[in-house]
Order: sequence, then C-alpha cells, then structure tokens
Amino acid sequence: MTPNHPALIFVLVSTLTACAPVQPWQRGNLAKPQMASDPYPLQSSLRAHNYGSREAASGSNSAQGGGCGCY
Amino acid sequence: MAVIKKFYLKSNRHSGTHIMSNGDGVVRATPSHLQALTAAALVLPGLLQSPAHAAEEDSVDFQYSHYQEGKRDISGFVSNLATQTESISKLPNNLNPIEVDSLHGSSRISLTDRIKFSFNYTQDTWSGATPVGTAPAIVRGNRARYNSTSTAVTGASPIAGEVTSFYLDKNSNILEVKTDPSTGELSPGSINNQLTHVLATASPETRKQGDFKLGYEWDEAAVDVGGGISIENDYESRFVNLGGRMDFNQKQTTVNLGLSYTNSDTFATLDADSLQFISTTSYEERFSDEQSGSFRFKGIEGSAGQIESTYDSLGRRSGAVLNGNRQDWGTQLGLTQVLNKDAVLELNMGYIRSTGFMANPYKLVYAFNFEALPEQDLSQPLLFIGQQARIEIRPDERNQFNWNLGYNQYIAPLDAALHFDYRFAHDDWGINAHTFEADWAQPIGSGWTVTPRVRYYSQSGADFYTPFLTILTTGYDTPALDSNGDAILDGDGNPVTNHIDTTKVPKYYSSDQRLSGFGALSGGVTVAKQFAKGVSLETGFEYYTHQGSLKIGGGGEQDFANYDYWVANAALKINLESIGAPGGHTGHSNHHHASNAPAGVMFDHALEKFGDVMVGYRFMRSEQAGNMLLGSQAVSQDTVRFNGCGDQECAVAPNFMAMNMHMLDLMVAPTDWLTLMLMPQWVDMEMDMTPLDNTPRGGHNHGGAAHDHQTGGIGDTGVYALFKLLEQSGHHINLSLGGTAPTGDVEVTLRKTVTNPIPGTLIHYGMQLGSGTWDFKPSLTYTGEIEQLSWGAQVTGTKRLESRNDANFAFGDIFQGSVWGGYQWTNWLTTTVRSAYTQQGAIHGKYRPLFDEFGNPFTPTHIGPFDTPANYGGQFVDLGLGINVTVPNGAFAGNTLKFEWLQPLHTDYNGYQLDRDGALSATWSIGF
Repeated sequence: MTPNHPALIFVLVSTLTACAPVQPWQRGNLAKPQMASDPYPLQSSLRAHNYGSREAASGSNSAQGGGCGCY
Repeated sequence: MAVIKKFYLKSNRHSGTHIMSNGDGVVRATPSHLQALTAAALVLPGLLQSPAHAAEEDSVDFQYSHYQEGKRDISGFVSNLATQTESISKLPNNLNPIEVDSLHGSSRISLTDRIKFSFNYTQDTWSGATPVGTAPAIVRGNRARYNSTSTAVTGASPIAGEVTSFYLDKNSNILEVKTDPSTGELSPGSINNQLTHVLATASPETRKQGDFKLGYEWDEAAVDVGGGISIENDYESRFVNLGGRMDFNQKQTTVNLGLSYTNSDTFATLDADSLQFISTTSYEERFSDEQSGSFRFKGIEGSAGQIESTYDSLGRRSGAVLNGNRQDWGTQLGLTQVLNKDAVLELNMGYIRSTGFMANPYKLVYAFNFEALPEQDLSQPLLFIGQQARIEIRPDERNQFNWNLGYNQYIAPLDAALHFDYRFAHDDWGINAHTFEADWAQPIGSGWTVTPRVRYYSQSGADFYTPFLTILTTGYDTPALDSNGDAILDGDGNPVTNHIDTTKVPKYYSSDQRLSGFGALSGGVTVAKQFAKGVSLETGFEYYTHQGSLKIGGGGEQDFANYDYWVANAALKINLESIGAPGGHTGHSNHHHASNAPAGVMFDHALEKFGDVMVGYRFMRSEQAGNMLLGSQAVSQDTVRFNGCGDQECAVAPNFMAMNMHMLDLMVAPTDWLTLMLMPQWVDMEMDMTPLDNTPRGGHNHGGAAHDHQTGGIGDTGVYALFKLLEQSGHHINLSLGGTAPTGDVEVTLRKTVTNPIPGTLIHYGMQLGSGTWDFKPSLTYTGEIEQLSWGAQVTGTKRLESRNDANFAFGDIFQGSVWGGYQWTNWLTTTVRSAYTQQGAIHGKYRPLFDEFGNPFTPTHIGPFDTPANYGGQFVDLGLGINVTVPNGAFAGNTLKFEWLQPLHTDYNGYQLDRDGALSATWSIGF
C-alpha cells in the first residue's frame, strides 16, 4: 500500500485555510504544559529507543545514536 | 527570560492589549487588573515558544529505567518413557530473558540569551537470552533436559549448530521423518508445522552515549547543530545533525527542517563455541593460519560485511570477527500549525537512506537442503537435510520514507489535553508500517498530572524475511563440447559431461522477528508531580505485546515468535530558572563555606535550616591497571598462575579494571539540626583479562583468548541522617548515621560457554552491582575555616550487618580516615589537598558450589585471582588534589562543581590483585 497523498494534502489545505488568527493572548491553553508537543521528552526518547530496537520502522528522523540494539 | 520580555512587549504593541501597563509587570492592583495579570502569566510561556518548540528552559534531568522482557516460548521433542514415544511440546525455558537498565542524565543551559547548549549522557546495560534463529520444532534445535529419573523435563539445551531433517510437501507443510525400524528406510510422517526459536544468552554488556546540541535563537527562528557518539564493545556509532526552525504568521505556523548523518562500525566477535557449526558462506572472508601466518581470501562482490577468521593447526576456525560499516543520511521536514486557541496540528515527513552493513551479526538462519535428481518428482514430499546455520545477510541499501500526523486538542471542561499521532513508514525492503498513538494528559491538582496512553503498531514483513531456508539443489549433466561442437572424450574414450547447477539460494535472508510481519499493542501511564521550586518527578510504566496475529490484515508470523515486555522509569527534573528566581535561594551565600570539602568527601555538609533542599549528582571512576601485586610487591604472571587462585591454577589475570558510579544526592532539612539524605546509585564495571596459559585447548582455545567482562545497573541505595553536633563560627562537627539497602544485584551471571559450561555461573565478586547486605555507614566530620583557608577531617566506616548475602558471601568491612585543607583563591575558586587512609577486609564466605545437569559437582577451571575471596581488600594511602568551583552570582548562582583526583601513594593488598591507577570524583550540586 502507498500513502494517500491527495488525502493528506486535502487535510493540510483545508485546515490551514480554516484557521482563524489566534492572537498571542488567546494562547493560554496552548501554552499549558499538558499541551506541549511532547510533555515528557525524557520518557519519549526512552520509548522511541525501545520501539526502534524492536520494530523495523525506525523511529527517529534525525541522527540520535541509539546503538546497535543487537539483542 | 529576556527573550520573553522582548517578545511580550512587541506583541503588546501589535495587539494594543491593555493587560499590562509595562514590561516589568507593574500594574495597579485592582481586581480586574489582577485577573488580567493572572491571564497574562499563563500566556507568557506560550509567547516564548512556538507550539512546535518544547519549553526549553535551563534544566538538569536524570532518568532511570528498567526494561524486562517476558520469557520466550520454545518447543522441542519430549519423550514419554511409559509409551516409548516422543512428541513436540513446549519446553521449560530456564534462561533469563533480556533485561536492560538505562541511566540518562541531561543538562540544558543558556550560554547567553540566544545561545543554548544541551548535553545528554545515556548508558544501557543489558543481559539475557534472545533468539539466534528459528527452525521447525521437529529438527531438534532445542533438546529437552530431564531430571535424574528421566520422568520430568527440567529445561532445554539450544543447539546452535547443525540440526536434523524434515519433509516438506508441495503446500509447504512440514512433515516428520519416519524411520522404518527393520529397513531403516525414511518416509514422510505426519504434518507438524510448529516452529520454534533457538535461544542464546549474552553476558552483561554496556552501551554508553554522549551527545550535545548547540543552538542559536532569534525571535522567530532558530538553528542548531549537534553531534554525539555511542560506544559498545561490538558497535560504535558517530552522528551529527543540523536543524532549523522558522516561525511565521505571529508564530501560528512553524516550519522545521532537519538533516542528519550517522556513521556506524560493527566489529562483532562471533561466538567461539559455535564457529564450527555456522556457515559464513555469504560473506567475504579473510583467513589467517595461526601456525604458518599465511593468508587466504574469499571474495564476494559487494559484500557489506567482512569476516576475519583465524584457524588452528587442526584446520578449524578458532576465532572470527565480523566487520562492517554503515552510513545513514536522514532529512526531515515538519510543519506545525495552530488551528485555533485549543488545537495544534503537526505534519512531518522524513527520508532516511542507509547503506552498508545492516545485518545483525549474531542472528543465524537455519538452512536445509534437498538434492534433486533429474527424474525427481517434485510434487512429492521432499526430504530436506539440515546444513550449517548461516549468518544472516541483508541488502546493503535501504530507503525509508515516513509521514507523521499529530494532533493536540485542549479539553477545556477537564483542563486536559488529548494527543493523537498517526505515522506511516514505507521502505524498499518491503516493509510498510502503521503506528497509531494516543494519550490523555490530565492534571488532577496540587501539581499532579496523570497521562494514560495507548499505542498500536503493525508492520508487513521484509521481502527477505524467512524463518528458515530451504534450498532445492537441482542440476543436470550435459555433454561437454569443444569449439567445433564435437563431444570431448576423456583418456578412456568416454564423453566428458559438464554439471549445470540451477540451485537458487536467496541473496538475502534473515530470521530476525523484527523483520517479520506482526502487530504490537502497548499501553501505559505516566504520573508526574510538579513541586514548588522547579523540581518535578515523573514515573511511568508501559506494557508491550508483540504478536503475529495483531498484524493489520492478518498474515503475520506464527505465534512462536510472540513475546512481551514491560518498562518502568522514574525521572527527576530540576528547572534551574525556577530555582534561580528571586526569593528561591535567600541566604545562600551564608553557607558556602560548608561545601568546600574535596569532591571525594561525602557527608561533610548539612543543610542550614528547616525547609532547605539540595540536589546533587556525584560521579566516581576508579581504575586499576599495571602489575599484579601480592601485598605491595609486583609479581610475575607465572606466580599468579600457580598461586593466585588458591588450590587451583589461574587461567586468566586481569590487566585493566574500571568502575563507574553515578549517584544522586537528594537532601532535605525537616528541622534546623537534621538533614535527611537519599542516595540512589548506578554502577557499571568492566574488566579486561589476559590468558596465563597460552597452549590451545583442543579446538576451543577460547579459555586462552584475551577477552573482557562488563556489568552494570542499579546499585545499593543510601539513606542517611546528618546531625549537627557543633555549629560555631569557624568550626562545625557533623555526625552522619545511616547506611545502604541491598538494591544492587549480587547474582549477575556469565553466559554459558565452553569455558563456563554451567548455566548460572556467577560473575566475579568484584563485578556484582552491590554488596547484597544491609550496610551500616556512620561518619563523623569536622570542618573549619578562617578567611581563605578551610580544613577538615573525617572518619567513616562500613559495617556489614549480615554475614552472608543471597549469593552466600559478604564484602569486608571498611574504615577510612582523611584530612584535608583548602585555599579559596577568588570568590568562585578553591583548590584542595587531601590525604586518605583506607582499610578494607577480605570477602567472607564464597559462592555456592556448582552442579552440572546430571547433578555432579562442577569446579570451574576458567578462573582468575578475582574468583578467590581472599584476594579482596587491603590497606591504602592516597593523595587527593581537587578544584571546587562555585558560581557566586548571576543566573547560575548556587551551582557548585567539584573535581578531585585521588592518586595512590601506597597499596598493600590482601592476596593477589591488580595495581591501582587512581580515582576521579566529580560532583555537581545546587541548593535552594
């Protein structure tokens, strides 16, 4: 199976155009710790390392090291 | 903080908002203004960062985690004595499954308002049993072990070498091989498609990784450059990365771009015990003859890995190392968009191109061969005969693409956040993978947040994944013709024939379950508590199950490959900016004197008053190298060989030993006169050995080969109470009472090999991770100071409160006395000199005797001086030279860094031990 590019682009375009400007002072909710893109980065890197050494679709997009995981 | 102000003022102007009247936050305190101020305080961090950009405040973090796999299922024949038959069934698996202890420390600091630096250190230690290959259960890859009366199965012995045969019919069913008792003729029996893993164990190994990132931030953009290195004893990886970020549209839109490069070397020593039985046919190989020193070379075009083998005088392979290099280029483009005041969307795509050696050097593929005659009816069941297992081989190129969609929604009624992620990955090995992940972050008041999460993953198998290989050898003879098209005759006048081989062996093959089709479901929860003063604790748990039947659309691997694991982690996070805030550490400068003892001295510093908190990290490394000593005299290797191991002969002696210890110091003062301390610690150790006996032992001279051992993991946990006995101007006396709980493992085992043939053989006493006993550790410390001069003296001891631990021994008691002096050159720099005397007793007790699988006593012969309890402890005198640096003011006021090198002056060991090289102590601490 191949990714559905048109669907992705549709989502992208429709969401971007649907955005009403959100003023800086309206971003209180977005700034809350629980709304962070990654609220627990330490744990995320650990989980990514575990998944990465157990699954074929290696997790990280950029070089993070991580070793061989040859066990 | 300056960045916040700048941006705040700017957006203030743009929006014309009246929330604050000026950038210093001075407002008229009317109720409405107060509300507005509270709202503004909430908004502030959101202005600092674009949503894509994590809150990167200056911080120091520590994390520990434990990964524990469940036992794998293995199958094999089990005999029934009563009926004189045997049948395939599940065998007891006595091998410890894989477990990994990981330690992570990181620090992020602002060098200036715009220049950020971060550093990470990670170390993992793992051990346990893992599949080396897969075979039909009927080929006896696992052999059942029975109790002494052969009435019950007690375990299984994996056979890594050649296995037996099976019939395969045209529908790929596996059939048992029936033998006619009278004629001995073989024929196909009943169908049994059960597959099984064959497991191998690994002694503990440690990986260490250090990496950094340096970034420069503008108001609406950032660039960063990073790099690092990861080191194992068979793999080394170096990497660099480059990243950029641009914010648009008042930070509602953020674009990320990343580029990375990784270069990794594999240098895997293949298991010496199974070298006779494995095939290296697919790899380029360079042979050297141990006796004559001559070389041979087997070339394979485009071979990504090269094997270097040595042969003994009998023509058998005595050692082999598989070398390979791999390079990965990665690029990534990301977009983050604020959809509305409660939702953020993230889109990412990435491409990774990998070239070179990507196989797992320890995975084997069992191979079975059928030699077809020209008239063979291939529709009948064919008898495939077990060959040598082959080292797996993978393509030397891989292109991976992935797409990621993330959505973050704020749930106003519950003050919660819902995160959802979908990821699709595709590569040219034939693997397509889908990942769905969701979590719900729910604050529940008083700084607590509970976050449950669930994840589902599914992948299709790689094109070259195969549990085992079946090779159909076919060929035909054809008359040899000369250039005129006439038949060639041999000397007797008979026509010569050529054999044309049409056998097809796949170019690539792997039985690694990571490349099979499967699905995985996992779920867990994270609990975080944010304390005042910028300290937070996080703990998490996750359970993961890998099952062939969970694959989307079905068709996953059989359930023999199923397994599960759990991971638990705990983290301590310290936000330096919150600590450094005004009022956070008042009166701090008053007690700088107390922390001027050298780095190697503990328990010298009690907190000043009720409510004070101190967090610290302590690192110690000690090394041993050089001569073997008896007492304080250097002795020859022969002396060690014949006298160093008690009644036995030593096979090896250490030539290098190192121990690293990482400790957290957590201190609180419940009253003015008492300080409570909690000190969890992690240790890792390595030891290199040289053989004392160089004569090869039959085909297996592994016993004589130079090799190394590693261990690591959680150590003993210290709990102490510090009392101030005397507090006068210039003179202080502290009494510390407490000790360590035996949380460190004292039953770390070596993997089973020819030289350690009994499973469960414990590694050397000195490489166990803790003492195994409850230990009482009192200390009495005097410190004093006048102007720039400081001095101190300490006596401290370790008394084992039990005579034996679980492994039936106890380390000797320890006494240490030290005196030191220091001079403060400026308000931030002090140097110290210390003299220390240490006395430690030998080990009491010893490991329990070993028994082989038949219950007979077994005496290990592959031993060194470190296996004898009398060769531990001694008396030592050391000189310590130290530097203490305290940041007096500014953003990092209150941070203290100390280093001390301890140089041995005199060593008088109990028995035979390796000379000492010295020890380094480094500490970081911050009080607030």
